[in-house]
Amino acid sequence: MTLAVFLPFLLAALCAWLGPRLGRRTGYVAALAFVPALLLALPLAGMPGALPALEVTRWVPTLGLALAFRGDGFSLLFATLIGVIGALASLYSVAYLSPHERFGRFYAYLLLFGGSMLGLVLSDNLIALFGFWEMTSVTSFLLIGLWHTRSAARDGAVKAFLVSALGGLGLLAAVAMIGLAGGSTTLSGLDVEALRASPLFTPALLLTLLAAFTKSAQLPFHLWLPTAMEAPTPVSAFLHSATMVKAGVLLVAKFGLLFGTSPLWSGIIVPVGLATLVWGAWIALRQTDLKALLAYSTVSQLGLLMSLYGLADAEGRFAATAHLLNHAAFKAALFFVVGIIDHETGTRELPRLGGLRKALPVTFAVALLAALSMAGVPPLGGFISKELFYEAMLHQGPLFIGVAVAGSALTFAYSFRLLRVFWGPPRSPPGADPHEAPPGLTGPAALLALAALTFGVWPGGAEALTRTAQNALDFAAYPGHLSLWHGVTPALLATFVTWGLGAALIAQSARVSTLGRRLTPRLNANTVYYALTEGVNVLSSRLIARTQGLALPDQLRIMLGAAALIAGYGVWRSPQVFHAIGPLPLALLPIAALLVAGALGVLLARSRLTAVVAVGLTGFGSAAAFLGLRAPDLALTQLLVEAVTVILFLLVFRSLPRSRDLPRTRWRYGVDLLLAASAGVGATLLVLAGVRFLAPPISPYYLANSYELGGGRNVVNVLLVDFRGFDTLGEITVVGMVALAVLGLVRVGKKGRAPGEAGPAPAPSTPPGTTRPKEKEEA
Amino acid sequence: METLFALLIGLLIGTGVFLLLSRVIVRVVLGLSFITYGGNLAILTVAGLREDAPPLLTLRGPYVDPLPQALILTAIVIGFATTALLLTVALRAYQVAGHDDVEAFGDSLARDPEAEDGLIADPEHQGPDRPDPEEPRTLVYSARPPGGDPS
Repeated sequence: MTLAVFLPFLLAALCAWLGPRLGRRTGYVAALAFVPALLLALPLAGMPGALPALEVTRWVPTLGLALAFRGDGFSLLFATLIGVIGALASLYSVAYLSPHERFGRFYAYLLLFGGSMLGLVLSDNLIALFGFWEMTSVTSFLLIGLWHTRSAARDGAVKAFLVSALGGLGLLAAVAMIGLAGGSTTLSGLDVEALRASPLFTPALLLTLLAAFTKSAQLPFHLWLPTAMEAPTPVSAFLHSATMVKAGVLLVAKFGLLFGTSPLWSGIIVPVGLATLVWGAWIALRQTDLKALLAYSTVSQLGLLMSLYGLADAEGRFAATAHLLNHAAFKAALFFVVGIIDHETGTRELPRLGGLRKALPVTFAVALLAALSMAGVPPLGGFISKELFYEAMLHQGPLFIGVAVAGSALTFAYSFRLLRVFWGPPRSPPGADPHEAPPGLTGPAALLALAALTFGVWPGGAEALTRTAQNALDFAAYPGHLSLWHGVTPALLATFVTWGLGAALIAQSARVSTLGRRLTPRLNANTVYYALTEGVNVLSSRLIARTQGLALPDQLRIMLGAAALIAGYGVWRSPQVFHAIGPLPLALLPIAALLVAGALGVLLARSRLTAVVAVGLTGFGSAAAFLGLRAPDLALTQLLVEAVTVILFLLVFRSLPRSRDLPRTRWRYGVDLLLAASAGVGATLLVLAGVRFLAPPISPYYLANSYELGGGRNVVNVLLVDFRGFDTLGEITVVGMVALAVLGLVRVGKKGRAPGEAGPAPAPSTPPGTTRPKEKEEA
Repeated sequence: METLFALLIGLLIGTGVFLLLSRVIVRVVLGLSFITYGGNLAILTVAGLREDAPPLLTLRGPYVDPLPQALILTAIVIGFATTALLLTVALRAYQVAGHDDVEAFGDSLARDPEAEDGLIADPEHQGPDRPDPEEPRTLVYSARPPGGDPS
């Protein structure tokens, strides 16, 4: 299993490299990546309800992180599904893609996605499961945005990503809560009783549902799926019919075993699923783009699956698993068919197509089988699973079966609408000469259509396949069977009603579309989505304009104010621990006086020179303090630096204007005083709270080893040169870079200045050719 | 002793911040110097001020903590480098702008002078790309992949 998950990742790198070299044939290599996933089906063939196999690769054991893959019947079934559709999509795209496509990228993304998906379904570790979940979001973003030069593809990719990332965050929180409450990070090791008793149970349940609904495009998160159809058609078949969108269904199926006891679980999922079923089908019926029709049909079918798994009983799980297989077969086949039609005629528009039966006989046969299965017509797989769906809904009550019939009638209608392109007078856009597609395109589609047929005419086989998941999903005791004929049951009657309604919908299609146009609500999910994203944009633009468009001191004020607030909150909340208020050393008092004098001097200074003298005073004061505090090296350095600084100031002052008063406005003055005071008080408190913070642990080592290891008796020097040599190297580098920068600035300045260096304030203009910083104000 | 120095550090840093917010560019530089002084003394004080011998092994112990001293030594030099750089920048700014009023330097980064409402921060980023206006938002009728016919 580990191999099955990681081979696609490995081959993705290989395909990225092979793509530009092998061209479209890279697809054959890509298909190979799914072979181990297909081999996972072998244990399924042998045993109904396959025994779970566990493979664990330890990763970060202290955090409970492991790559644990658990092959129970359901996971293996799902993995096989991914393997089959993934391999077929790879082969199909060999014939489908244009020769100018960037194959390396395409196949690499496809395999990355396939690998993430396999990891997701097989993962037993919750954290790894979340990781793979997010990887499917990222890789599907890449796949949807493959043709990134189109704005629609970018829009679709961003939308899909934003929506599923929202759910991903929900899943992260849910996984954390489940892990905490259940006492384990593995799905199979969870203490279910503890989880159910925990107060975290309900929040975890709701967040899991958020994740499942966003990923599986349930109302109101369905908006991303139709736009995600901007991806190339083989990708759509893979991502959006068989795998990615079913991740949410998988989550509901697996976690239903944990959460299903809560009435909240079914109470939310079933109505949402049924609403999605009807709404998706209703919109699908009105689409004219074949691919959009399929997209909304997928939304609708996912609603059906959700509602069945959401019932959280054996009957629902049995029916849902059967339909899961059917749906994957017929939907992928239909996507392939639409790809063929697009490929042969150059359009996917329903009104522009007709009579393709003669030109594309094989495609027609495939489409017929798949669409009839979708419509729920015997003897196809879709019919059987729909009967089970009706059975399950009949047990829920009259309202449920009513909604189910309505949704299925719409499904019936749009399935036939899809087939309409094959009937009537031959019609295709001018210039197109539709003829049968090459076997590379029809082959994969035909295989899937045959599967849909097999599920119907050989229900025993389909049932055996469905039953492989019975232990994993806890429906082993369910006595139901898959068969075409159950006798005249209420479900069969409901099916007849469905057909009647569906036929009526087809017959009245003109009225339906007018009604649809009239019923289209102004406020839909897309409107909300665009309003939200635009709102965020405008808000951030405004915020930037307000906060960063200010003059420098004002920006500083905002930053310092924020810092003061945060630090103040911290001081207010923290226990007041102040250390060591030692005796007042009289010897240091003159030094303190020097520092105070310097600070007051600079604040009160009228002239520039006085200010510099005051700073010097403080500098020499702190040098004296260093001397008094047993730090002779520091005192020496400070003295030297102080002298050089004063010289530097005096040098610069020659070229700066005479000091003048630039008054601050009154409120600014007040704010500045407040900020300065809070900074001062904050610093005092910080020092008081932190005294002896750097106490012994490291320093004795230096004192003890300075002579032996560094060969010096001045410990500070040895520290700088030997123990912390790289720090000092960094420091020297900084000083060197500053020297270069100063040199550069001064030299540009010389060139830029008017002749006569010592003259009065220089002209603000610079001659051409000098690199002069951009500055708008020329006061 | 620590309390005295804590108060002194507060005074130095407060003064530094007040100068930093001033309009005259030289005062901003002086403010940074004050903050440097305050910071250096803070490192020393936080490590504990003791009456032991300086960390020179030629003297008799116990010694004061050498580590903060080493840190401060680096800090002093870096502080000097910062002051030097800022002074030069101040000089240069004055030469280019013709004045030394920090508040009037403004900020040309955030505002796009061409934007009419002054709200768009960066003309390159005006929000998510939407489908082109001719196309409806949910459906796109382009049939073939770009870049020629698939065969």
